[in-house]
Amino acid sequence: MPNSLSQAKILIIVPAFNESGNIGRTIEDIKKQSLPVDILVIDDGSVDGTALEAWGLGVKVVSLPFNLGIGGAVQTGFQYALQYGYSIAVQIDGDGQHDASFLEKLIAPILDDKADMVVGSRFIEDRGGFKSSFARRLGIHFFVHLINTLTGLNITDPTSGFRAHNQRLISVFAHYYPHDFPEPESIVVAKRLGGRIVETAVLMRKREEGQSSIRQLKSLYYMVKVTFAILLHMIRSKEGR
Amino acid sequence: MNIHLLAILLSLLMFLLVVDLVRRHKLTFKYALAWLLVSSSGVFFSIFHKFLFKIAGLLGFELPSNFIFFTLFCVFVFLSLIMTVFLCQQNSRNDTMAQKIALLEFEIKLLKQKSSN
Repeated sequence: MPNSLSQAKILIIVPAFNESGNIGRTIEDIKKQSLPVDILVIDDGSVDGTALEAWGLGVKVVSLPFNLGIGGAVQTGFQYALQYGYSIAVQIDGDGQHDASFLEKLIAPILDDKADMVVGSRFIEDRGGFKSSFARRLGIHFFVHLINTLTGLNITDPTSGFRAHNQRLISVFAHYYPHDFPEPESIVVAKRLGGRIVETAVLMRKREEGQSSIRQLKSLYYMVKVTFAILLHMIRSKEGR
Repeated sequence: MNIHLLAILLSLLMFLLVVDLVRRHKLTFKYALAWLLVSSSGVFFSIFHKFLFKIAGLLGFELPSNFIFFTLFCVFVFLSLIMTVFLCQQNSRNDTMAQKIALLEFEIKLLKQKSSN
């Protein structure tokens, strides 16, 4: 396990679906940190020039032939990371919500080999910033308890898509990653395989352009579906898809 | 028309259709076998329907027609479950292929860029 930033081979996976306008900002934001990282944008079948915008900024862009959903997109990133031997893969959403200045903090526990997965949480300490809508906070609260009941883990922000993974989880997730709304479920997947999961405090911003894929009215549907997915996962065998 | 004759005709038609589909490579072996079994037993029971009535009686169905509906219903529920499994398998293979294609496309793009420089 590499224990310094310069030794580690780090991939930043940026899943993006119709994020033109936001994607450029996200990439610039990451580059500003001047960390030794490779940036890989996964264009999830966008039709608005997201890929071109990213390609123009000189980052790697993998374009999926059709929309797979956030899970399928992020998994493509893990497959790339596995293929090219990256030791750390960080997911940061392409909508500009995640603040890249927290990248180093997010990676630190993995560099110190204290965690297999680090989740960036808005709720650990109150630093202000965007906390998302009431309906979604209610949903998040529900998942906090569900995950705690099922696995004993104390995760404060299970729907956060700002997270870092080490090599072990890269190879796990390259082969199996939940496709629809993967954030809470992937925590359960990692935990069931004995992964060490920690959280670190981050700030999030409000989306500047476009709409979050989870709209207010869909929150309830999202909750039911993800709960069902997590419960289904619990009865699955640990091997194979 | 006699209902008995109609049943024989329809099940024969079904059987011939399955055979023709296999012949024209529209049904692969994996599924052809099951369909051949189903359709040939349809032909068998429509011709020797007394046999069917006997089984219905043995199982305690008051009307042979109830037995037929019940059996058909079970077959279709089971069949749709099998089809759903098949659909899920195809779906996940499709996604995996999309991911592979996207990664390969990216590599080709890089290679092209390298060779043109």
